[in-house]
Amino acid sequence: MKVLIVEDNKELSESLNDFLVGERFICECADSVNSAREKLLSYSYDCILLDIMLPDGNGLDLLRFIQLEKINSGVLIVSAKDALDDKISGLESGGDDYITKPFHLPELHARLRAVYRRKKTDGTNLIACNEITLDTDTMEIFVCNTRLEVTPKEFDLLHYFIVNKNRVLSRQSIATHLWGDYTDNLPNFDFIYQHIKNLRKKISACGGADYIETIYGLGYKFNTSGI
Amino acid sequence: MKLLNKISLWFIGVVLLITPISMYIGLLNIKKAMDQAEINRMTAANDQAAVLLKAGNTDSQFTQGRPILIRKINAPLPENRVQIEESYKHTDENGKKECLIRVNSYYQIAGQNYQISSYDYVTKADEILSGMLHSIFWKMLLVILSLLLCARILSRYIFTPFRHTMKAIKHFSIKEKTPLRLQHTNTKEFRELNIFLEKMTDKAIEDYTSVKEFSENASHELQTPLAVLRSKMELLTETRIDASQAGLIEEMYKAIDKLSLINRSLLFLTKLENHEFDTSELLDFRISCQEVLHTYEERTALKKLQVTTVFPDQVPLKIHPVLAEILLSNLFSNAIRHNNENGHIKISLTRDRLIMQNTGTPPAIPTEELFMRFKKGDQCNSGIGLGLSIVKQICQLHHFTVTYTYNKGWHTLSIYFNKHTENKEALPEKQEEDLHIPAAVS
Repeated sequence: MKVLIVEDNKELSESLNDFLVGERFICECADSVNSAREKLLSYSYDCILLDIMLPDGNGLDLLRFIQLEKINSGVLIVSAKDALDDKISGLESGGDDYITKPFHLPELHARLRAVYRRKKTDGTNLIACNEITLDTDTMEIFVCNTRLEVTPKEFDLLHYFIVNKNRVLSRQSIATHLWGDYTDNLPNFDFIYQHIKNLRKKISACGGADYIETIYGLGYKFNTSGI
Repeated sequence: MKLLNKISLWFIGVVLLITPISMYIGLLNIKKAMDQAEINRMTAANDQAAVLLKAGNTDSQFTQGRPILIRKINAPLPENRVQIEESYKHTDENGKKECLIRVNSYYQIAGQNYQISSYDYVTKADEILSGMLHSIFWKMLLVILSLLLCARILSRYIFTPFRHTMKAIKHFSIKEKTPLRLQHTNTKEFRELNIFLEKMTDKAIEDYTSVKEFSENASHELQTPLAVLRSKMELLTETRIDASQAGLIEEMYKAIDKLSLINRSLLFLTKLENHEFDTSELLDFRISCQEVLHTYEERTALKKLQVTTVFPDQVPLKIHPVLAEILLSNLFSNAIRHNNENGHIKISLTRDRLIMQNTGTPPAIPTEELFMRFKKGDQCNSGIGLGLSIVKQICQLHHFTVTYTYNKGWHTLSIYFNKHTENKEALPEKQEEDLHIPAAVS
């Protein structure tokens, strides 16, 4: 997958680049509206990560440009503003999803994948990882071809794990992914533990391997390489 | 006391003080003028009598009915040819003291010195006074009455710009950012006041806006470095690290999370104050309640809390759906977080109010203070202390009243919706809909 990162903050775009390259994405960076325009005209990308506030203009203008030029790339808007109006106007101008700073990289990755999947017309909705298969349309999980009875939260959790397999997922990032972040409270990690325990139990009951590894002090990892 | 009444009272006081003085002066003048007139008349009569005497006519008919006494005197003529004596005498007629004026004139007629004196009773000063008092009474009454009346009528006219200014100030809100514009007036004091007020409020709005903008921009600008920090940290976890490093990273994670949460909550509060969530649509608050309850089901289950709910059919409220969700989430997550294991939560919603009760330990600080920013009942818990501030801000925005009380192990948070009649007006038509809904469901 080829991704264009439009972000004026150098450190952040480096982080994004490092992370996505680790996922075997091909990344290019643009730090202004103009350079992004040039790149978009010369090359084609599967997905665009778009910051709204850029030094020489607004990311929304770039969105209009993308629509005008009929560039068929998925757009994930990244913005410091989580104002509702911005969200709506961003999505109305042709953005496919919206994520606010500061985000968790695995969350961004999951969303980017989702945007990409939705854009692909021939795309299948099945995500497979060894003996586990996820159907993102019907929200079903199959382990060794047996259908697993899971709650929507558990589905989300496993989906998140598989998209970010072999990466350390902090409990914060998992909590934000599952419950959003509108309340005053910091996430309570007991729930995550509870969900992961249930999920492990369910997968192993169907004969699946125990991929979920606890990383002390950090979180969890869906480890497919060690087994 | 009204300014007008104050001025009127002072004015009346001055009138009351001045009147006796002016009356006394008037009395003296009148008395003097009357006496002088009488003296003049009597002097003239004496002169005439002397002329007649000179002509040798001593007939009493020339005395013009006045008591005139003509005496020959042997002493030389006094230096002062006309002497006046004033005395008070009892008269027989009414037994009262009367004022008698006697004018003695001295003449030399044909070598013989004569004293011609005439006298008459004149009006006494107290008699004049009683007449004056009567008139003064009416005068004062008229003055005071007309003063009060004029003050009432004129003030209505004169104070119009002032009242307008007062009304404008009362309705002025710095948050609405509409500059204060006052009626033009030709009264100098009011004009100065208006100019001063306009300048002051303009400045206040300007300052307020710039402070707002600053905090908003600062918050926005903070988001990017936070994102950098968080992403770098995540990349760090991908590298080889040992357990002690992991522990450090975890602590840093927590700090970043807290920072970003505080930042976002502050930004949200700013947005609330800027009225960025205004809506004119009615929302069924009951559905919002149920949705939020649903999202928190696992948390209540984990803490083994017992949740009792009382919901009516429909609670139409004019509130933005996002705000309703945040309001309820904050309240409900507080009720869970500060609850005991195996505790209770009671939620009762009616058209007028929402009451959320939960068991828990007594608050460490007065409950009212918990609505203040960064105030926490328990300093070591994981909250950031903005939840109830947000609740309060949302309530203020919608003119709801929110109270928090603690009684015998129960924390009670009540929100009253109908502070004004707006919702009440909307109720009757909604009630009709209510009647249809159960029918449609069945």
